[in-house]
Amino acid sequence: MAAFALRRLGALLVVLFFLTITVFVLGKVGDADPVRTYIGVNATPAQVAAARVELGLDDPVPVQFWHFATGLVTGDLGISLSTKRPIADDLSTALPATLELAGAAIVLTVIIGVLLSALYSRPGRVGAALRLVFFSLASAPTFLIAMVSVLVFYRWAGGLLPAAGRSSYGPYPDGTGFYVLDGLLHGSPQYAWDAVRHLVLPALAASIGAGVALARVLADGMTSAMASPWARTARSLGEREGTILRRHALRNASSPGLSLLAVQAGFMVSSLVVIEQVFSWKGLGSYLSTAIGVGDFTVIATVCLVLGTVYVVLNTVTDIVLAAVDPRIRLS
Amino acid sequence: MPFSRKATLERRTADLAATGDEPAATSPKDGAWAGMGRAERAALIAGSLVVLAALVGPALSPYSVIIPSGAPLLAPGSAGHLFGTDALGMDLGTRLLAGMQRSLGAALAVTLVAAVLGSFIGVVAGFFGGVLDTVLMRVTDLFLAFPATIIAMALAAALGQSLGSAIVGITVVWWPLYARLVRGEVRRVATLPHVLAARVSGVRGWRLLARHVVPAVTPTIAVTASLDIGAVIMTLAALSFIGLGTPAPAPELGRMASDGMKYFLNSWWVAVLPSLAIGLLAFLFNYAGDALRAALRRTGV
Repeated sequence: MAAFALRRLGALLVVLFFLTITVFVLGKVGDADPVRTYIGVNATPAQVAAARVELGLDDPVPVQFWHFATGLVTGDLGISLSTKRPIADDLSTALPATLELAGAAIVLTVIIGVLLSALYSRPGRVGAALRLVFFSLASAPTFLIAMVSVLVFYRWAGGLLPAAGRSSYGPYPDGTGFYVLDGLLHGSPQYAWDAVRHLVLPALAASIGAGVALARVLADGMTSAMASPWARTARSLGEREGTILRRHALRNASSPGLSLLAVQAGFMVSSLVVIEQVFSWKGLGSYLSTAIGVGDFTVIATVCLVLGTVYVVLNTVTDIVLAAVDPRIRLS
Repeated sequence: MPFSRKATLERRTADLAATGDEPAATSPKDGAWAGMGRAERAALIAGSLVVLAALVGPALSPYSVIIPSGAPLLAPGSAGHLFGTDALGMDLGTRLLAGMQRSLGAALAVTLVAAVLGSFIGVVAGFFGGVLDTVLMRVTDLFLAFPATIIAMALAAALGQSLGSAIVGITVVWWPLYARLVRGEVRRVATLPHVLAARVSGVRGWRLLARHVVPAVTPTIAVTASLDIGAVIMTLAALSFIGLGTPAPAPELGRMASDGMKYFLNSWWVAVLPSLAIGLLAFLFNYAGDALRAALRRTGV
């Protein structure tokens, strides 16, 4: 087990290294001119030359990569070309926002998946209709689900749930950036509750498709586990259905569920980019789409790198957890 | 049933493991149709009609795709504008059809190029083996470990905002799926009797590959590609939505949806209808793909 975990961690480092190179190279080969984004289109040639030196663009490319990579390690991520603000500062508010939303979305995914899995294997016409609805939900673009939830729960329900931003009060100046946590730390249940209410719609929009997919896998897994020979053996030995379900079937059915959750969590990283835009959620996604709009490639590269790192680390952790749950994976 | 690159890969790997030693040597079409239920056939027919409407609709429509033809923000059902008009007074129905046409074309382009490129790499790696195989598969696995959508976003952003950039960006992350699958298939096919027979008769190298191995893996590639289109459509739409597509007035559904966000609290249709059009396309392709898969499993083709 330890050897497997070490091997996966080694692979993680390799992937992260190449991810860094890829993102860096993209910034070099693209047709976005960093100098123009930095000082505008009306700059004189002298200003352009000065800016090139200031941005380090006249250094040889390997030297530039060295600065980029060492900056990543030391936390100096450079400055945004369009706002001239340090990217690290922007990330320190955007990253907690995205992680808070992602955490809420993953919790909701599991809840939705478990709840709907009971409906999934229903027989007859009702079951078939439900499966068709679930299938449509999984095929719907995330922004469609986001828009419809805003229309239903905000516009048509008279502001039942907030549809934009993270809080009605603004951040605590010395807070962690996780608003729900901040509210609890400062002993203000009202603040925390308000943050939770702001989380509901975006998290729901991010988790419906994933939850439905999880429901299908869980339902399939449970059905086949309960129909398996060892379940029959347990039944013939007089075990109760509930005991078989909890003691035997759950463990067997959870492995595909977990691996699907990993796929979904990775997918969620990118769908959050879309969802944040719909809900004006000031996280990495909004930061990224703003940067795309103005062609600010230092920000685009850094955000893609951060999101990519989250994705890769998530995958590694799930692989290791899966191997701990299911010994067959370690051996294959 | 998530729809993404990784999901397609996992699904097809499971399928291929389940079908065992029988190569899908014949065209799956007739067998698949016989194996489908009524709902699945209905979905296929509906899908064909939608595709047909997207292909010929913009040309038949009395309105231009990019010239305003009525008052702005007319609600759906208004006289002359069945699906209403957008913020500039352009006919939304015409633009939806044109947008679906663009989405379809782009998704087909991505799938086709990714399938051909990836399959080529997979065939070479699987057939020739050795160091070449190791190197190619290490690169493939590296690309598979990358987050597909995010790298596609970074690449498309580097190339500038246009549909072409998005197509390139997604293709670059999509081919490894085919390389992985096809390599496994080639290695399996290489041990089949007809290939061994050809080998014994003295057929070697590229000739063996082209005449005996590639034809045996082609159906697998075709089926995978047809299952994959829905996921590509959804990824393209996401890129377009966050601004990595051709800006207005080009009829691009993702862009239309995100531009429509400004008005959608009072005029929901300008943002919701383009999103629904994407959802409809994705649903039809995903559903037809799922039906095809189930039918192939039942008929054992």
